[in-house]
Amino acid sequence: MPLLEGRNLSKHFGGLAAVNGLDLTVETGEIVGLIGPNGAGKTTCFNLLSGFLRPTSGSVGFAGEDITGRRPHQIVACGLVRTFQLATLFQELTALENVLLGLHLHSRMGLRQVLFSRRVFPPDEVSLSHEVLEFTGLASHADQLARNLPHGYQRVLGIAMALAARPRLLLLDEPVTGMNLSESAQVMSLIKKIRDGGTTILLVEHNMKAVMGTCDRIVVLNFGRKLAEGTPAVVSTSAEVIEAYLGAGLHHA
Amino acid sequence: MRRRKIAPLVASAVGVLLALLLPQIGSDYYLYLFALVFTNVVLAASLRPSLTCGQLNIGHSGFMSIGAYTSALLAKNLGFPFEISLLCGALLAAIVALAIGYPALRLRGVYFAMVTVAFVEVIRLVAQIWVPLTHGMSGLSGIPKPSILGMTLTTKTSQYYLALFLMLAILLVLWKLESSRLGLIWKSIGMADNLAQSLGVNIAKHKLLAFAIGCFFAGVAGAFYAHFIRFLFPPEFGFLMATNILVYNFVGGRGHFAGPIVGAIFLSLLSEPFRGSPYETIFFSIAMLMTILFLPGGLITLPAKLGGLMWRRRASAPSPVA
Repeated sequence: MPLLEGRNLSKHFGGLAAVNGLDLTVETGEIVGLIGPNGAGKTTCFNLLSGFLRPTSGSVGFAGEDITGRRPHQIVACGLVRTFQLATLFQELTALENVLLGLHLHSRMGLRQVLFSRRVFPPDEVSLSHEVLEFTGLASHADQLARNLPHGYQRVLGIAMALAARPRLLLLDEPVTGMNLSESAQVMSLIKKIRDGGTTILLVEHNMKAVMGTCDRIVVLNFGRKLAEGTPAVVSTSAEVIEAYLGAGLHHA
Repeated sequence: MRRRKIAPLVASAVGVLLALLLPQIGSDYYLYLFALVFTNVVLAASLRPSLTCGQLNIGHSGFMSIGAYTSALLAKNLGFPFEISLLCGALLAAIVALAIGYPALRLRGVYFAMVTVAFVEVIRLVAQIWVPLTHGMSGLSGIPKPSILGMTLTTKTSQYYLALFLMLAILLVLWKLESSRLGLIWKSIGMADNLAQSLGVNIAKHKLLAFAIGCFFAGVAGAFYAHFIRFLFPPEFGFLMATNILVYNFVGGRGHFAGPIVGAIFLSLLSEPFRGSPYETIFFSIAMLMTILFLPGGLITLPAKLGGLMWRRRASAPSPVA
């Protein structure tokens, strides 16, 4: 049984079908890449899966449960956590505090804790957050304000926060956009490391080289529909995919 | 780091001590004035939870009005004891906040603010038009004085101490909330609500909760005000007062719990000569403008700013040893 299963997903914005009858599955332990030209519906698809948008039709199943129409915080509680395209962080807090919040925000609390707990962050959460920073290579920046971090580190911090929420499936929205070659290689190896640690990954990315080198399977979207699906080797040689990216050849004109 | 923690503690200890001693030094006029200042502090501080969540509530005085009228009418017409009528007023304010907030908090930014502006006007009009109950524009008078356990607080001194006690108790609760996990959640929603949501925060629920908590305490402030002044006049709780509460927060500073407290004390005392006159609005506008221009972080950042200036001057001045 797949970990994540989108069945016949559609999202219409007025007359525009941003996603149209999409079937998408992710198996446990995979790294799946979702690619496509601008406006293909990748981010909309992410928003449908993570509950930020409600599908017009179709359903989303996660770990055998139907999660269609659930709200984002409920979906996070199931173990499906997303990151954002832009560096969305708590800018005025340090890297460590950002991760602590990621750990913390979803933990339950009673009124007694609210009014009488002396510490906001229990020591075990602090040490766990340090571990997450260590794992993602941000340990030396723990005490820097998020807004002062270089762009690449900000994106990694976004991933670290999502990791702190202990996801079973991590949705990464353009994790290496705007990075140079060595930064993006580092992030991609981090993504592999996360998968090896037992977290399944679905990512949207424009950077072809990064996607091809990392993903086990690739799904290509165009105009809200699935254009092709398969291993990187199969997808990169598919005539339809090349056409979608580069435009139709002269003989079609 | 340590100094940053001790300075506010010392300042608040001195403040509380002065407040406790005021009846020994000041006349009845000052007791009356400071009881009103304390009411303003409660109003300003109780707006903070909502502000921290990034919700601009320009209708806080409407909830104060609900607390004031409810408590006054229950005590006057039905003979409720002060404690019970105060609690009923505050609870009704919180319940109305839940009813208004449930649909309105789905709106963001300026749209939510517009709903609260409309709300405060609706409440004012209800108080003005529902003459059989509120006596409309002739005002509601003959409200019983506050009492504790059946003992009526007749002297200004005892009423002043009641105001002081209410303020300190409410500030303690609000501070506890803000420094707990709940406060952290409010801050996270204010900083980046979509991120908070993706980390598992039910933002609709928490925004609503913060809003209702704030309005509950606005209701308490209103109830105290009603029994202290003993006369309620609908236009008093209008849009102008709501913006003043907001200005307390901005002028005091939004970055720290002490901000609204400092702002409310400073502005209420400074605007005292103009109270009720058209100059009051001008005064508040100028205070707001000056803050935005010269102290974007509010009055609470003033010591640090002055400290920075002194330090820079000392550093640039030629060393006396040379």
